[in-house]
Amino acid sequence: MDKCEEIVAQLDLGNPWEKRSDGWWLEAPDMDVEKMAHSMTEANARLVTMTAYQVSNGEFRIIYHWDLEGRMLNMVTMTRKGGIPSIVRIHPASDWIEREIHDYFAVQFTGRELPPLFLHPEDSPGIFLDHSENASEKGKGRER
Amino acid sequence: MSFTIPIGPYHPSLEEPFKLEVKCQGEFVEDATMNIKFNFRGVEWLAQRRNYNQNITLVERVCGICSDLHTLTFCRAVEQLAGLSVPERAQYVRVIIAELERLTSHALWAGMAAEIIGFQTLFMTCFALRERLMDILEIISGNRVHYAMNCIGGVTREIQDPNAVLDIVKWTRQQVENTLIPIFTTDRTIRARCIGIGVLTKEAAMDWGVVGPTARASGVPTDIRRSTPYAAYDQLEFKVPVETSGDVFARVVVRLLEMIESCRMIEQAFKKMPPGPIQGPEFVQVPPGETVVRSEAPRGEVFYYVASDGTDVPTRVKIRTPSLVNMPIVRLMVLGANLADVPLINASIDPCYSCTSK
Repeated sequence: MDKCEEIVAQLDLGNPWEKRSDGWWLEAPDMDVEKMAHSMTEANARLVTMTAYQVSNGEFRIIYHWDLEGRMLNMVTMTRKGGIPSIVRIHPASDWIEREIHDYFAVQFTGRELPPLFLHPEDSPGIFLDHSENASEKGKGRER
Repeated sequence: MSFTIPIGPYHPSLEEPFKLEVKCQGEFVEDATMNIKFNFRGVEWLAQRRNYNQNITLVERVCGICSDLHTLTFCRAVEQLAGLSVPERAQYVRVIIAELERLTSHALWAGMAAEIIGFQTLFMTCFALRERLMDILEIISGNRVHYAMNCIGGVTREIQDPNAVLDIVKWTRQQVENTLIPIFTTDRTIRARCIGIGVLTKEAAMDWGVVGPTARASGVPTDIRRSTPYAAYDQLEFKVPVETSGDVFARVVVRLLEMIESCRMIEQAFKKMPPGPIQGPEFVQVPPGETVVRSEAPRGEVFYYVASDGTDVPTRVKIRTPSLVNMPIVRLMVLGANLADVPLINASIDPCYSCTSK
């Protein structure tokens, strides 16, 4: 069995991988990200980065980009009430990545402190938040 | 007695603003904290308010040293979204410019390392080498730093005088093989300052997702040019130098060997480059979608995520530079180190603060 398929089976998500020209993609809005991080760490995958994308309902699409033996695996999930569990205790490489996303979008990574990475301590996080009316238009179709 | 020493944000050993607070017990480092907020420009926010062509100019300014890799990666992302093919000749031109940029970056780094070690003549040797490389980039592109070579679907201009480039590349290779490698690897002072200093184990490098020469010096053979070839890298023969000791010396050796490989790649690229156009069909529209693209910059993997809603302005541009993942491990590398080694250990990952706090 392919390593990607093995990981999907471990996660018990039931979602098939979609193979695209830029790698493998998995959409799982209710993903248990801690379990996923454990599986990826055990598979010796490298966390390339995480992308936050503001969507229409005040939530964020969070994409975990992993490198598994040179192959790009992109795992997409959603925040719940603007938050998502931190994976920093499982995968330390996520430390600055989570802090960056918190600075930009005020996403709460639960289970950890989030000292500012780019901002002054007195500044409010969320400097990239789009408060305009078309914010919801931009994110349409990506909230899943 | 325990005391804390602030290094930066403006300090003679730092070429960009950055603050490292080192907590010491006597001469030895107990802990360190880093602060990188001094160069923040909000590039991602700006990129979501400019059209695709304007963004090429913007992302080129994420970094003054690996500017070409940023435009290359962004253009590749847009090309992937728009389904554009890039002419083969342009792919070779992209490789040549990217490898010339790697040479200038590594020469700069070697010079900075020599300066921190206190070896002024070696510093001057490295910078003299870098000057000639920057001269040739200026001859090709008209600029020493921001080359503006990449466009969506190809490159903006031909390399008018390949022989001039090849002459410099040949000279560079001789300089690295006959001068830099012998001095860096045999000089007693350099060896004393670099061997066994700032060790990063393979396990730590993997846990922290370290990339580029820093990872390769710790025995992690990651290189996007090899694992996911782009441009014309799959047509070229090259080695990926890997060392296993994980110390400052290993990082020196990896970068110097990479300079030789870059010279080899440029020479091959000129030989194999076919005639033909350097730009594909005119870029008209990017359909809705999203994509991820990675390239191997001098400091390691550069990552771009670009999302489109079908307009001429991207809805999301995410940039992850190699220094953002490499810098956190400086804290691990300085723990227990002698205070005097901290500037060199920090410099050994070739950190770019402009990239990191883009």
